[in-house]
Amino acid sequence: MLTEAYMQRALAAALLLGPVCALLGVFVTARRLSFFSDTIAHGALAGVAIGIWIGLTNLTIPMILFSLCVAAAMIWLKENTELLTDSIMALLLSGSVALGILILSLVRSNRGELHSYLFGDLLAIEWQDVIIAAVLAAIVAFGLFRWLTPITLMTVNEDLATVNCVNVRRLNYGFVLLLTVTVALSIRLLGIVLVTSLLVIPPAIARPLSVNLRHQLILSVLAGFLGCFGGTVLSWQLNVPCGATIVLTCITLFIIALIFSKLRPRLIHPSP
Amino acid sequence: MKFFDPLPRLKPAEECSCGHQHAPRVGDASQAMPVVEVIQGEVAFNGTPILRGVNLRIPRGEIVALIGPNGSGKTTLLRSILGLQRLDAGEVRLFGSSDLPSVMSRVGYVPQKLSLDRSFPLSVREFLALRLKKTRSWFWQTPRTIEDAIRPTLVEMGVEPLLDKPIARLSGGQLQRVLIAFSLLQEPDLLLLDEPTAGVDSPGEQSFYEMIGRVHQLHQLTVVLVSHDLSMVYRHASWVYALNGVICCEGTPEQVMNADSLKQAYGIHVAPYHHHHHAH
Ligand SMILES: Nc1ncnc2c1ncn2[C@@H]1O[C@H](COP(=O)(O)OP(=O)(O)OP(=O)(O)O)[C@@H](O)[C@H]1O
Ligand SMILES: [Mg+2]
Repeated sequence: MLTEAYMQRALAAALLLGPVCALLGVFVTARRLSFFSDTIAHGALAGVAIGIWIGLTNLTIPMILFSLCVAAAMIWLKENTELLTDSIMALLLSGSVALGILILSLVRSNRGELHSYLFGDLLAIEWQDVIIAAVLAAIVAFGLFRWLTPITLMTVNEDLATVNCVNVRRLNYGFVLLLTVTVALSIRLLGIVLVTSLLVIPPAIARPLSVNLRHQLILSVLAGFLGCFGGTVLSWQLNVPCGATIVLTCITLFIIALIFSKLRPRLIHPSP
Repeated sequence: MKFFDPLPRLKPAEECSCGHQHAPRVGDASQAMPVVEVIQGEVAFNGTPILRGVNLRIPRGEIVALIGPNGSGKTTLLRSILGLQRLDAGEVRLFGSSDLPSVMSRVGYVPQKLSLDRSFPLSVREFLALRLKKTRSWFWQTPRTIEDAIRPTLVEMGVEPLLDKPIARLSGGQLQRVLIAFSLLQEPDLLLLDEPTAGVDSPGEQSFYEMIGRVHQLHQLTVVLVSHDLSMVYRHASWVYALNGVICCEGTPEQVMNADSLKQAYGIHVAPYHHHHHAH
C-alpha cells in the first residue's frame, strides 16, 4: 500500500494535519470557535470556484486566500457591528457557499471536482500540499507551545489575560490566521463538509480521559494521529472518500473513550 | 473592629455632592503619589453615558470600597482603571504613569465573572502556573515544581486541597479564592476586585475579608473592591466611594454610610448603618 506514491502523500498529509488540527481543536472548542471554523471551511468553496473560474491548476492557494477573507470579514463585522456572532457566521457561510455554487454553475466545471472538495479526496493530494502541511505543522506546534501560557490565559478570560500583559488582540489574530490556514489545507483531506470534525472530535475523545489541560492536549494529539492514520488506511482499502473514514474512525475512538471513562471508576473501585 | 489602621490620607477636604464637607483625609504635607488616579473619566456605550466625569485618587495602602446600584458603572470603572475599557474622555494614571500596559505587572485583578466553558479541563495548579514567569513552561514541568513555586500563596489562601480540580468545576467561593490567589501570586502592589464575595456564604465572606486584611498588612498593598455588602464594606474598608455615573459621595465608611448619602447613591431609601454596632 505504501508503495503507491499517492498513498504516501495522503498518509503524510493526514499524519501532519491530524495532530495539528487536534492541538488547535482543544482551544477552538474551549473558545467556542467550532462554528467559526465551519464558516471558514465553507468560505473555501468560493475560493475553489474562483480558482477554477480563472483557470488555476492548484486550488490550495485561492482556497486559503478566500478563507482568510471570510475570517477577516467575520472579525471586522464582530468588532464593528452589534450583530450576533451566530448571525454573522451564518451570513458569511451561506454567502460564500452561494457564491461558490453560482460561479461553478456558470463555468460548468465537472462535478467530480466539486465532489472531491466537498467530501475530501486522497488522490487529490500533491507533494506541494504535503510540504505546505509540514511547514504549517511546524509553525502551529512551535507557536502553540511558545505561546501556550498566553493562549490558555486568553481562553480563561480575555480581561485577565490583558492584565497579565498579553496582547489579546494580536494573539487572537495570530490564532485565527493559523486556524484558517490549517482548516483550508485540511479540506483536501476531509472535504469542506467534514473538516471541522477534525478540530472538534479529537479534543472530545481526550476530554473524558483527562484531568487537566496537559492531558487533554497530549491525548488529543494522539487521537488526531490515530484517527487520521486509521481513517486513511481504511479509505484506501474500502476505496471510499477518506473524509468519511477519518471521521468515523474518530467517532469510534470517541465511543471507546467514553465507555472507558464510564467504566474506569468501577474498575478502580469495584462495587461489592 | 478593623483589621488594620488606614494609612494617612493625603487628600484635602472636598465638597462632596451629598452636601456636607467631609473631614479631610489626614496626612502630612508631602504630597505622595497616589496609586490610582482617575481624572474626569468619561465612558459612554452607544451614546448612553455610563461614567460622567469620575474623579478618583487612591493613596497607597488603603482598602477602598466602590459601592453603587446595579448598572451604576462599577465594573466599567474598574475596567477603565485597568485600561480594558477605553475612556472617551479623561485620564487614568496608575503609580503615576498613564502608560497602563507598562505597569500591569504590578496589578492583580479579579474579574466579576469568567464565563469559562464548563468542559475546559484546566486544573487549579495549571491555572496558577500561568501567572508566574518561573512556571511559564508549565506544560513541561512536574506538578511538584509548579507546587513549590506557588506554595506560599496556596497556604495563605487555603486553596491547597483544590490543586488538582478543574477550575471550571469549582464552587463560586472556591473559584473566588483561586482567583484571588492567582492575582496575589506576582506580589502585586495594587489589587482590583470586582464583587469578590458575590455568591460566597457568610462565613466564607467573613474569612475572605479577614484574609484581605491579612494580605493587605503583609504585602502593604492597595485594594480596590466592588461590593454590594454594605455591612462588610462598613467594617473592612478604609475609604468608600459611592458611584452612580459620577462619584456622588466619598469618605470614610462612617461618613458615607448614612441615610443621606446612601439615598443619594442608590436613589431610594436605604437603612443607614448603626455605627454603635461596630466599635471603632
Ligand atoms: N460592553 C458594553 N456595551 C454596552 N453597554 C455596556 C457594556 N458594558 C457595560 N454596559 C452598560 O453600562 C452600564 C454599567 O455597567 P457596569 O457593568 O459597569 O455596572 P455595575 O455597576 O458593575 O453593575 P453590577 O452591580 O450589576 O455589577 C450598564 O447599563 C451596562 O448595560
Ligand atoms: Mg459589575
